[in-house]
Amino acid sequence: MLRKRFKKLLEDSPPPEDKKSSIKDIKVKEAIIDPNLDKTLEIFQSIYSYPNNQDVKIRKMNISGLRKNGAILYIDTITNPMVIEEHIISPLLTNEDKTKEISEIVTAQSITPKIVINEALIEINKGNVALFIEGESRVYLIGASQFEARSVEKPENENVVKGPKEAFIEKAATNISLIRKKIKNENLVVESLVISERSNNNLFLVYEKDLVNNKILQNVKNRLDSLNVDAIQNLSLLEQQIEERKYSIFPTILYTERPDRAASFIEDGHIVLLMDNSPDSLVLPATFWSFYHNSEDHYLRFPYGNFTRLLRFLALFITLFTSSLYVAVVTFHSEMVPPDLLLAIAATREKVPFPAAFEVLVMELAFELIREAGLRVPSPIGPTIGIVGALILGQAAVQANIVSPIVVIVVALGGLSSFAIGDISMNFAIRISRFLLLVSASFFGLYGITAFFTAGMFYLVSIKSFGVPYLSPMTPTYVSSGDTVFRRILKNEIFRPGYLKPKDMEKR
Amino acid sequence: MIKLISIVKFISLFVLLLILGGCWDQKETEEQAYVIAIGLDKAEESENLVKVTYLISNPEAGTAAVGGGSSSEPPREIISFEAEDFVTSRNLANTVIAKQITYDILQIIVVSEDFARDDDFVRWIYDATKSMEIRRDSKLLITKEDTLTFLEINQPKLETRPHEYFKMLFARGKETAMLPVSDLNTFFRITEADADLFLGIYGTTEKSEKQHGKEPDQVIAGEFHYEGETNPTEFAGAAVFKEGKMIDVITIEDTRLAFLLNPTMNGVDILASFPDPFDENYHISTRVNKISDIKIKMDLKKEQPEINVTLPVSIDLLSNHSMTEYQLNEQNKEKLKKSFEDTLEKLFKDFVKKTQEEYKTEPFGWSLIARKKFLTIPEWEDFDWMKTYPDMKVNITVNVELGSFGRQGGLPSLEEVRD
Repeated sequence: MLRKRFKKLLEDSPPPEDKKSSIKDIKVKEAIIDPNLDKTLEIFQSIYSYPNNQDVKIRKMNISGLRKNGAILYIDTITNPMVIEEHIISPLLTNEDKTKEISEIVTAQSITPKIVINEALIEINKGNVALFIEGESRVYLIGASQFEARSVEKPENENVVKGPKEAFIEKAATNISLIRKKIKNENLVVESLVISERSNNNLFLVYEKDLVNNKILQNVKNRLDSLNVDAIQNLSLLEQQIEERKYSIFPTILYTERPDRAASFIEDGHIVLLMDNSPDSLVLPATFWSFYHNSEDHYLRFPYGNFTRLLRFLALFITLFTSSLYVAVVTFHSEMVPPDLLLAIAATREKVPFPAAFEVLVMELAFELIREAGLRVPSPIGPTIGIVGALILGQAAVQANIVSPIVVIVVALGGLSSFAIGDISMNFAIRISRFLLLVSASFFGLYGITAFFTAGMFYLVSIKSFGVPYLSPMTPTYVSSGDTVFRRILKNEIFRPGYLKPKDMEKR
Repeated sequence: MIKLISIVKFISLFVLLLILGGCWDQKETEEQAYVIAIGLDKAEESENLVKVTYLISNPEAGTAAVGGGSSSEPPREIISFEAEDFVTSRNLANTVIAKQITYDILQIIVVSEDFARDDDFVRWIYDATKSMEIRRDSKLLITKEDTLTFLEINQPKLETRPHEYFKMLFARGKETAMLPVSDLNTFFRITEADADLFLGIYGTTEKSEKQHGKEPDQVIAGEFHYEGETNPTEFAGAAVFKEGKMIDVITIEDTRLAFLLNPTMNGVDILASFPDPFDENYHISTRVNKISDIKIKMDLKKEQPEINVTLPVSIDLLSNHSMTEYQLNEQNKEKLKKSFEDTLEKLFKDFVKKTQEEYKTEPFGWSLIARKKFLTIPEWEDFDWMKTYPDMKVNITVNVELGSFGRQGGLPSLEEVRD
């Protein structure tokens, strides 16, 4: 019965809306370029709302050698004026040779002829220059795009002490270059796809064709093809479009801003997605372990790397369980606490007006508030948040007997530990689970914690990311390099992850 | 609309689950009164009643309370009254005490000697097995006087919280082998097995007459005399229980002997003195340690069953008042070793004899080993350890291994110093 109810909840989707573009517009765009230059320009002018549209530029000219009229059309703000000046206009005007073709005259990097208006539009919108020639029923598209982007900087979220310090930026071409820098191999394929209908956002699929499993690749492509949206600005939005379980609190696609990390996933047979406007990449399929890992684990020597893994593992459990265990033990199982500690807790709670569960919940919420506020606060007043938070919650609340000092310790420990899980999605998942555990602990004690955790494990085992079980290679077991909770020494990490079924299993 | 209804149904289902299922035995820590010790005495008039004494710990005592409010409250509260048993007494106590009485961190059950010697004692103490909260590792303490007097007079000077005092005292007593282990579980086990003697911790706040001519470790609680500004309570020796009833009290020395002969117990810091074989005016202080497990061989099929016990101990010398040379003199060493073995064997022999004649069974836990010699339980029951033990032949051999002779091994020759 529950299942039916759930289905009803999920399937109740809104009715499809009508396409807004009128049929006439679409017809115009699907037409073929007219050989009459004036007529063609008129069509393009109306499409681009020419002189109203400030940055669309049209320059008519007489191509001297060919003795023909021509015109170039481009969008000023996303093209490189140097290229237009030196490699397009100047050769066209100065050419004297009558026998030369257009592609021979123009010295720009790339030049491709297109026949349909629609195809030309896509290229112009990408920053290319359209060259129309009188009497020719095609348009030459010359590569001259230049988008504004910052330079390659240090990663903001995935910091490492030892290892490369480059991060992806908002320009896909640069990002691809960063990956190619790490994988110098002809099998590295960068496929391009247009994934949205109105904004024509471009997506790059990066993979090694002699490693990646074709079924997974096909699965990913199918899912990308089936997208039916007007605009997907960046990868953070795309992630939500293509993931399987949209209500799940656990992420199934890895989001990383480190090109070295993306490259090592590609080398394992994963698929990486890149996009303009996204200073990051998406890695799929992703398992639980990839969220738990950090690139530095492998950059550090074996004992150090595993030490940080151990710390992170502890931090994970401390974050999940400290506050809920405190509540469970204090309100339901006081006999479990050693007498000294129990009396200490009872003494500090003597004057506190709230029940332990409420006390912890309030403090947890306060901690999350400080965290969220600290993130959004403009940086000049950032330190204030720290002082106010520490003072109000750490000192004043205890002195006013609103919370007991032990609760401050418990909440602070849990909160601090939560920062050890670097991946933002997993971080959220753990923090939300912590609240759920806290609630179940305050209602059912240790029984509640155990039941909830067990249910959570069931759920984790049931999730799949593009057909790959979430907890693999641990459960179910697959041949792999054994990189789960701890890692092995590099010499022993022989295999690529078996759950991806790569074309080449061995790394050597 | 249908979606909304189902969402509402879901939420209400979940909330119902929490409300109906949750919070049943929830109890905040500060709403409970923590009983550290329960005292049990004979009720003065009725035989069906028992006098229950509670020692309740005050959590706030000795804490540096943040945010105002001094913690000058006393560390404990004691209440004593007659009740039907110490389970229902929890409610009765609430006529006086505001918080719910809990046995969550109960450390000891104190029983007066008078009550422990009563035939009906077993009936009352078995209530402890019924209560969910009482732990089997709670200690059983037998006091010479009534428990209320004992708990009232016992005021440790250095340990503010009562449970700390008891915990540390018992732990240390076990290390020095001056107090038996005496937990509730052992008491029940031995009583139910009906073969061995149980040794309970014996303590008092009453001083008895000083008896002259006794060696320092041949005393029981109350006989140790000390001066100064401290707590009048002392714990020494052990109360002997047979079949769930107290029958006697043994001295510190006997308790240690029982410790050494018991394969389940292990003292680690037993300091003892032996007569000096080279000069009868002096004693040698030593530290005695069991080196390895005690070896017990039993031949129970014989007409007169025989038990052969081999006890390997190491003895460290801590004093040498006769200033005899041991370090380089093998003969002296041999003599010393022999003397230790003889002394120990004689002590053991006397004590075993006492158990055979006076108590008719032993406190060493040997019946556990004897059990293994029988195939079935009925066979073992037919054998009847309690009946056969008094007539058994018990041979005890002590193998002494001399340990260190102190940080400085040799001592100057007295003649040379006096010269």
